[in-house]
Formats: sequence, structure tokens, C-alpha cells
Amino acid sequence: MTTSVNDETLREEVRQWLSENWAREIADELESEAPTHYTASPALRSWLGKVFDARWSAPRWPEEWFGRGLSNDQAKIVEREFAKVKAPGTGQDRVNLWANTLLAQGQPGLKEKLVGPLLKSEVNMCLLYSEPGAGSDLAGIRTRADLQGDEYIVNGQKVWTSGATTADYGMLIARTDWDVPKHDGISFFFCPMKQPGVEVRPLRQITDESHFNEVFLSNAVVPAENLLGKPGSGWRVLNTALAYERSVMGETARGSRGGTGLGLGAVTEAQPLIALAREAGRLDEPHLRQQVAQTISYRRLNALNTARAKADLAQGTSSSIMSLGKLAMSRILHEEARLRTEILGAESMLEGEDYPQAVDANFLSLNAYFTSIGGGTDQIQRNIIGERVLGLPKEPEVDKTIAFRDVKTGVGSG
Amino acid sequence: MNTLGSEERDALKDSVRRLMSDASTEAAVRTVMETDTGYDAAVWKTLGEMGVVGLMVDEEHGGSGFGPLELEAVMEEAGAALLCSPLLASGVLAAELLNQLGDEALNERLLPRIATGDCIASVVLTGDSGCWTQQGVAVSAKQDGDSWVLQGRGSYVLHGQNAEVLVVVAKTDDGFAAFEVDPSAPSVTVAPLPTFDRTLRLASVDFDDARAVQVEARQPVWQAVKRTLDLALVALAGQQVGGTQKVLDFTVEYAKARVQFGRNIGSFQAIKHMAADLLLETESAISAARYAASCLAESSEKADEAISLAAFACADAYVKTTADSIQMHGGIAFTWEHPAHLYLRAARSSAQLFGGSNHHRENYLTAMGG
Repeated sequence: MTTSVNDETLREEVRQWLSENWAREIADELESEAPTHYTASPALRSWLGKVFDARWSAPRWPEEWFGRGLSNDQAKIVEREFAKVKAPGTGQDRVNLWANTLLAQGQPGLKEKLVGPLLKSEVNMCLLYSEPGAGSDLAGIRTRADLQGDEYIVNGQKVWTSGATTADYGMLIARTDWDVPKHDGISFFFCPMKQPGVEVRPLRQITDESHFNEVFLSNAVVPAENLLGKPGSGWRVLNTALAYERSVMGETARGSRGGTGLGLGAVTEAQPLIALAREAGRLDEPHLRQQVAQTISYRRLNALNTARAKADLAQGTSSSIMSLGKLAMSRILHEEARLRTEILGAESMLEGEDYPQAVDANFLSLNAYFTSIGGGTDQIQRNIIGERVLGLPKEPEVDKTIAFRDVKTGVGSG
Repeated sequence: MNTLGSEERDALKDSVRRLMSDASTEAAVRTVMETDTGYDAAVWKTLGEMGVVGLMVDEEHGGSGFGPLELEAVMEEAGAALLCSPLLASGVLAAELLNQLGDEALNERLLPRIATGDCIASVVLTGDSGCWTQQGVAVSAKQDGDSWVLQGRGSYVLHGQNAEVLVVVAKTDDGFAAFEVDPSAPSVTVAPLPTFDRTLRLASVDFDDARAVQVEARQPVWQAVKRTLDLALVALAGQQVGGTQKVLDFTVEYAKARVQFGRNIGSFQAIKHMAADLLLETESAISAARYAASCLAESSEKADEAISLAAFACADAYVKTTADSIQMHGGIAFTWEHPAHLYLRAARSSAQLFGGSNHHRENYLTAMGG
């Protein structure tokens, strides 16, 4: 347990530890448990506890914070060994949004209390960012946090909150100063969720699923020590947190209908669209063949872009291609769903278990908006690409320099 | 085949870019494109000396002996500069068809002169149908004693009017055969075709019982043709993405500089979003072109799929980018003096050369088993 361990010794140590601790039964148990994104199962918690005790959770972090002070390269050795046997739990110094944000910005008391439990997934978390009146314009939030003694009293409404029903804490942005421009009056908190001032209501999506909630904050109490960063520096803390979130999102993909088997899982052929057209007896229709080829090409081109970006990165040249992935994926998902619907034709008017292809096509058509709106709309994404990649000037922002209380509000602001 | 490392390939690309910035400026292009030959003999000579014309000719025949990766890289620069030259006709199509046919005596005679640019050669493949397929071949050959006689009409022959030698693919009673033809011979009539893209040179070639010498082929002739077209499509994809990138660059620069309503027009989302979409098209096309080149270089089993993908993705990206570029510029790009239309012309024409995008999408789907 020193920073100067050599690569071979380290690799041997990880292997040894995994061979003694990572048993097939654990793997099977983890696999058999219904996966949810927001709470860890007992088996997973138990495994993460072992990883934590052996200091593999965050090997880049110093010993004081449960790590080993390893370099990035050495931490990757650890990650590779875990990946080889498909064991989860290491590399959290890179991908654990909650723990990273807290460690970087939290006050000592809160860090002592929560960093360890976060690494072990003993506490559940959610994000209290978006509001009915602050979607694309996130800095326009109107949830207020007022300091009274050593507590903040929070009032407002949050939306698009995943995992709010099970969360112990929410990472909250709220306005603490209304007399400064919008970006300057925001503060960032760990808000306790299990209290009378927090009410969670599930949100019914157009897909008839409920992945998200509305959260109503009515005189919710947040201890002052749960403030991250300084009062008014919440926008900066948020941006660090968003960067972590993006890196996590880059490594995980959201499948269709989690685990119900209704999604693409039913089709095993490499190209589901070809299989679908063949099954529908329409693979010989020239106009459909053109569309099938074109639609498949979108996904293929995106994969080629990603591969080229990675190669550029490996050569040490930074690549702007990565920023295009989200926009590309929106088109892929909408076009694939549109074409599925076209191939099915009238059957797409039907629903239910007798019409699984129709269920898929309709679900995917609706769920495509998850990508083209969620995490920033395609239109915001085009602004980002235009401004940050191509260097085009920003639109004038009329609300950037005036006190937030003077900023205009419109419909949908809750 | 020599394959350069990526740094050496970048160096080769840089050297071509430097030549282009001297020799294929917009002014030069506008001058050369109005000449009869459609290329600058001095620049062509320099390209020969630099080894660019002989890129695909192996070293024993006096060439550089490079492969698809190097060719694609060089063609990006040629495309960006709208280079007016018989490079695709002679250095790619003719040289590669001769490589593939493998007639040693002929290759010893022709390839060294093709490599230096001293001899311009071209390939007669399709006819008036403009289909670069077996069905598109409109010249037939009949044996007459020891020699052969060609009858019919070839068309869309790249730089046919500048060619000293034509390699003609013709139908015979036993499938396809290839012939060496002297275009100045009696019974051969070469006529320039008027072209929409003025940087392009096309000709028709009529054969009226023209005497021809059969080229020995070490593989079935259509297979040699198919492999030649694969390389030509990779070269064309490189040319297209070079042009696409160039057009995107000058369009974005204009959007940063042009002011209306007191703002740079690039700050308007109406323009910014078009630019972002074009960046996605451009980067995707570049990925497709380079991937196709690497698949062909490695003789990957994915080569057919990758080349078809690049063929339509790069052609479509070039057409969309050049078309949108004119719209984004506004009136200035509707003038003859603005270069945007030169690229639009090149894009629209290159999207039909060697088959249109629908043809390539069909091949793409077939290659994937669909």
C-alpha cells in the first residue's frame, strides 16, 4: 500500500485478491438481481463493502480517503483486472458522481459522514436540478434556499428526478441570492430527502413508464454543513458534477425497456432492421432497401466516428468528434424507430403482447425523445457544437448581467 | 505494397497540401478549368516528380508502391483544392486496372511512363447508360484472326480526350476482356463531353471495327475491374471529404465574419444549427472514407461493405455541405466569382461518377446480407 508499488506487483496483488474474493456465486447473484440504477442490491452492497475494505474502490484517491494514491496508469491496471472477471466496484474515483463531487467540494463533516458510504452504495442519491421553469436554461432555477441560523430552508419544485423515491440525499441547486445575475446566486447542497418538507410524485411519461419524479420542496430543511463549495458558487460546482455525469453516461448505455425483454433483445441478427424487413416480407422493396441501408449507415458512421476519436485521443490529439455523438444518436434513434414503424405499416396501430414488433416500434418512437430532449435538447446541443467546436459567436444573452429578480419569466414556470 | 505510418502519411499529405496552395489556388483552378485539356501540364509534371501520379504503381515499375491509405490521404488534399488533373483517370483507374490485369510486358512498357505522368492513360468502362456495372458496358469485341475488333461506344471516360492510351473493357462471347487501344488509331473517335463540373474532363469514345490488342489477364477481367473500382471509390471518397471539409471551413469562417442586424450571422441559431449538422456530416464522411481505405489496404472481409458505405456517405455529405453552404452564405455565393458553386458542381458530379448513392446503398445492404 504505497504510491511506488511497481506495476507487476500491483497486478499480481489485484489478481490474487480477486481470485480469493470474486466468486462465481457472487457474479451469479448480482446477475440474478433485478438491476435498478438507483439502489444497490444487498448482494452488490456486500461486494462493494469488500472492495472498499480492500481499498480498491477509489485507488487514485489518497489513503485518507480510502484509496491507495495510485497514478492514473496504475489505477487502470486495477480496473482492467476487475473488468477481466467482470467484477464491479473499482474506478469510482473516476465515475462515482456523488463521491467525486462531495470529496472535491464538501465540508469536512459531511465528507466524513458520507464519502465512505457512497463508495459502498449504502446511501442512495438523486439529482435535484431541473425545474418546470428551468429546462434548457438550467441557470434560471427559482427554487430558493434561505439561511436561518445553521440551516437552509428550501422551497420550490424540481422535476425529471430519477430515483427520488429511494434516495437518502439529493444533489440540489437552489437560489440563495436574488440580487445578482442568474449564474452568481446559485448554491449547491446535499439535501436530505427523507423529511416532511420533501414530497415525491412519480411522473407518467409518454411511454407510459415512470422513470422520473416531481419533487416538491416545502420548507425542507438542509443543514448548513451540507452546502458544497461557497454560497453563490453552485453553478461552478454543478459544472464539475455534470462533467462527471457525462463521463459516466459515456460508459453506460440505456437499453430499451429495462429488463422486460420487449426491446431489441428479441432480435438476434446483427442488423435488426434487415431482420425486421425480412420478417415482414418486405426486404425486396427497393424504396425500403434504400431506407434500411441509409438508417443502418447512421449507426455505423457514429461507431466509426467514435473509433476515430478514440484513436486521435490515443495519439495525443484531442478530438471534437465526441461532442457529435449525442446529436448523432438522436438521429439514429428517431430514424430507426420511424423505419421500424414504416416496415410494420398498419400493424403499428396495434398494441399488446400479441404485437411485440408494434410495441417495440411505438415504444422506440416515443422513447427516442429521451435522447433528443434529455440531457440537453438537440437544439442546445447544436448551439454547443456551433460555439465550442466551430467557434461561432454566442447569441446575445439578455439576462446574463441583470439581477435575477428582474429576469423575465414565461409559461411553464410552475 | 508500402504502407506508411500515420506520421509519414501526414507528411505526404502535407507535401501535397503545400503544392496545392501554390499550384491549385482558386485563381489557378479558374484558369485551368477553362482550357481544352483541363489540366496544367507543369503541375502534372511536378505531381509526377513528387511520386503522386505513381502512388499506386509499384516500385519495380518506377512508382511509389503505396496503397489505399496513402491514396485516400492525397486525394483529400486534391479534393480540397479542386485540383484539375488526370490523377484519378491515369494514376488510379488506369494504373490499378493494369496492376490487376497483370500483363507483365504491357506493364513494363506503360506503368513507368504512367508513374511519371509522361503518359496519360484512361479506362473505357461504361457506355451511355452511365452504369459502372457489367450491364453498363457497351463495347463488344470480336476475334478476327490473331487480333480483335471493337465495336460500340464508351462514355464518361475520365480525361479520355487527353489520353495517350486507353484500356478498354469490352464484352466478348466468353465474358469480359480488356484491350489496349491507341485513341488516335483509325476507327476510334474520341469526343470531349461538355461537363457541368468544369474541373472535370469526360469524353466519349466510339469504336467502329477498331483494331485492338488484348491485355493478358491473370484473373477474370471483371474481378480486376471490380477491384479497380473499389480503389477508385476510395480515391473519390477521399477527394469528396477533402472538398467537404474545405467548404465547411470557409462557410464557418464566413459566418463568423459576416454581420447583419448588428450581429455576426454565425450567432443566429438558424445558421449555427446548420453548421453543427454539417460538422456531423463532414466528420462522419471522413471516418467513412478513412475506414474504407484501411479495410481495402488490409483486404478485410468488411471491405465491400465499408467501400459502399463510404461511397454514398461521402458523396451525400459533399452534396449536402456544398448546397447548404450556398444557402448559408446568401447572395454572395450565388455569384460566379464565389468559389462555392465550383465545389457544388464538383460535389454533384462526383456523386454520380462510378455510380450514384442509391446504387451504393443497395450494394451496402447486400454486403451486409440484406
